[in-house]
Amino acid sequence: MEFADLAAITIHDVKNRLALLANRADAKGDAETVRDAMEAALTLTRLLACYKSERGQLQADIDAHVPADLLEELAAEAGRETRLAVSFNADEAPTLWFYDEALVRLVLRDALYNAMRHSRSVVRLEARIVGDDLEFAVADDGPGFPGDLLGQPLAMQGLSREGTGLGLYLAGRVARLHDSSGREGCVELRNEGGAVFCLRLPR
Amino acid sequence: MALVTPFKNKSVLILDDMPEARASMRAQLGSLGCERIAVTATVKDALEQFKNDRFDVVLADYYLGGGTDGQQFLEYLRTRRIIGRGVLFVMVTAEKGYENVVTAAECLPDDYLLKPFTADVLKLRLERLLEKKLRLATIDKLQDKGDWAGVVKVCDEIIEARDRYLVDAMRIKGNALLASGRADEAVEFYRQMIALRPLPWAKLGLSRALHQLGKVDECKESLGGLIQESPHLMAAYDLLGKVHLASGDPDAALGILDSACIIAPNSLARHRAVAAVAEDKGDFKRVEAALEKVVKKTRNTPLRETEDIARLGNAFTENGEPVKAVALIEEACKNFKSDFDDAHLAAVEALAHQKAGNRDKAEAALSRAMRSDTAHLPPAAAMAVAKACLTTGKRDEAHGILKTLVQTHPEAKVLHDRVSTVLRNHGSGTGAENLVAESIREIIQLNNEAVLKAKAGELALAAEMLTKAAQRLPGNMQIVANAASALLFDVLNNGLNAEKMIQAQAFQKAVQSRDPAYPKLAEIEDLLGRIRARFTAGRK
Repeated sequence: MEFADLAAITIHDVKNRLALLANRADAKGDAETVRDAMEAALTLTRLLACYKSERGQLQADIDAHVPADLLEELAAEAGRETRLAVSFNADEAPTLWFYDEALVRLVLRDALYNAMRHSRSVVRLEARIVGDDLEFAVADDGPGFPGDLLGQPLAMQGLSREGTGLGLYLAGRVARLHDSSGREGCVELRNEGGAVFCLRLPR
Repeated sequence: MALVTPFKNKSVLILDDMPEARASMRAQLGSLGCERIAVTATVKDALEQFKNDRFDVVLADYYLGGGTDGQQFLEYLRTRRIIGRGVLFVMVTAEKGYENVVTAAECLPDDYLLKPFTADVLKLRLERLLEKKLRLATIDKLQDKGDWAGVVKVCDEIIEARDRYLVDAMRIKGNALLASGRADEAVEFYRQMIALRPLPWAKLGLSRALHQLGKVDECKESLGGLIQESPHLMAAYDLLGKVHLASGDPDAALGILDSACIIAPNSLARHRAVAAVAEDKGDFKRVEAALEKVVKKTRNTPLRETEDIARLGNAFTENGEPVKAVALIEEACKNFKSDFDDAHLAAVEALAHQKAGNRDKAEAALSRAMRSDTAHLPPAAAMAVAKACLTTGKRDEAHGILKTLVQTHPEAKVLHDRVSTVLRNHGSGTGAENLVAESIREIIQLNNEAVLKAKAGELALAAEMLTKAAQRLPGNMQIVANAASALLFDVLNNGLNAEKMIQAQAFQKAVQSRDPAYPKLAEIEDLLGRIRARFTAGRK
């Protein structure tokens, strides 16, 4: 058996255990443990996605989805795991948009956990139309991103960064898998009263 | 405090091989106010539950251990119509990606739920899915009935509304156009959808429509592109395989199915398809290789099919190993009592014994094969019985079976070729060269004569002719449906007759159970209505 297969089976097994742990903690109302277990499971999902991406096997399974539903689920899940106020706003989002929901969810959850780590009191999820794109945004009221991360090109960065590097790398990859009529999605980081992570997906 | 939630009255089936996971999901559902929960650990247990109960929601884990998975379970439920379109099927999985392999649109789960998930997410997701089922309930019912015109109409209303179900409605509308043979409209419709967004299912739909229109080259091109873009879409390989076969290129068909097997090595349907094509080509080494995988994977699971064992046994015999075939079949009959009475299996056993030189055992197996009415057998089984008859010198019986088979499927060219091949391979003899052509001519003539008689007003005679034919050829839908119509016309014009009414309705039921969407059923229903109106009004 190849190491990659062994790793895949192990990841699967560990995620199953984390699921049990999270559910047991959830039943007891232990929000902190739920969050740790969920975040650990997410790290594994991200690892597997990065591995696939490196091997050129990460594919976007694009179909029509409801952006408001995705944000509502993310907010409900995160809201239970933190004392921060997690809100979502999809009033200016279209009813339907075309994307791979599993991949977009992975990227947004990653950004959400990052925001929850740095935020002081509030985390906002937003979906709206910007030009010809749908923009998903995760905003917090923390100290903001370091200056050298701001802007768009970071989506092209390789795997060498520490910490959030892996998440940003994957976000960029996922964004670019969403291409439509010759245009690709992208990731943008801004500071507006805190950090704002944006994922833009073309029409 | 008792919770009043939308889940209170929903019955849910949980299927997961891990005890802690089952308990955990049950607890989550309980916290949502769900009271009717059945928990099962194996596909076998789950199927047992379906015998006694109906469920609104199925939550199945993808990994089930023991050679089965959630996708196979879903395909089993849907293809055997154990669950209708109205039942919500959610696949629970730790990792999306392995299971991207999808056989056919109707075998897609309603949703995937990625572990770990909290009770809140489960609640939101189920609420949304149930809401969607409710909105699409009318369409589901019309689809189950095969009322495609009705489906298109309701879909158009949803498309007009441009709400969150817009794309769902478009997908269903495309399928309905294809199912009702409106291929020209389907091409137009899918081209519009592709212009809006080139989604894989729209491209597949377009390919299907092109296939229906007989535009072979365009269809091949469209499918080739689709497979390159979406290598996990198994339905594209299946269709391309079919197109290659229909254009007389079984090697290309096998090539495409082989590449599908590499992408989806666990998909039973693909291995079975490879075996079917190889069988037609007479390449029994490949049949053996493909079916050995299937038989091994499904041994002692509910996904086991006796037909796989019969075909594999036949391949062993063809490859010069009849002893292996006999051993395989004996093992099957030992473990599954009902296999002993399976005509297909018994016929293959007879062939193997004959080839191994055990005349007596061959005779015994063949008489078991012929115990049931061969007119009711599926084509492959009937063919095997005929082959066994030819091998053991029962030429008349063989010709009788093959004639019935051809007349049951008078338009199935591929089947006719197979019949001719079997006859050729076993030294034809009198009447064999023309058996196919003669059988077809006879059935067409009978149908035409009955129509002429009916037109000439001899309704009772027409009904009698068609009734006889329908009793001889219970699998020929056209004849059986025409017999029902003729009987009802006779009653409508010549007065009530209990015997004829009962016979007509039995024919109607037979057609309905085979194909609820059979076009002629509408006419039969209409005639029944007119008879009811006439004879109840007359009694006042």
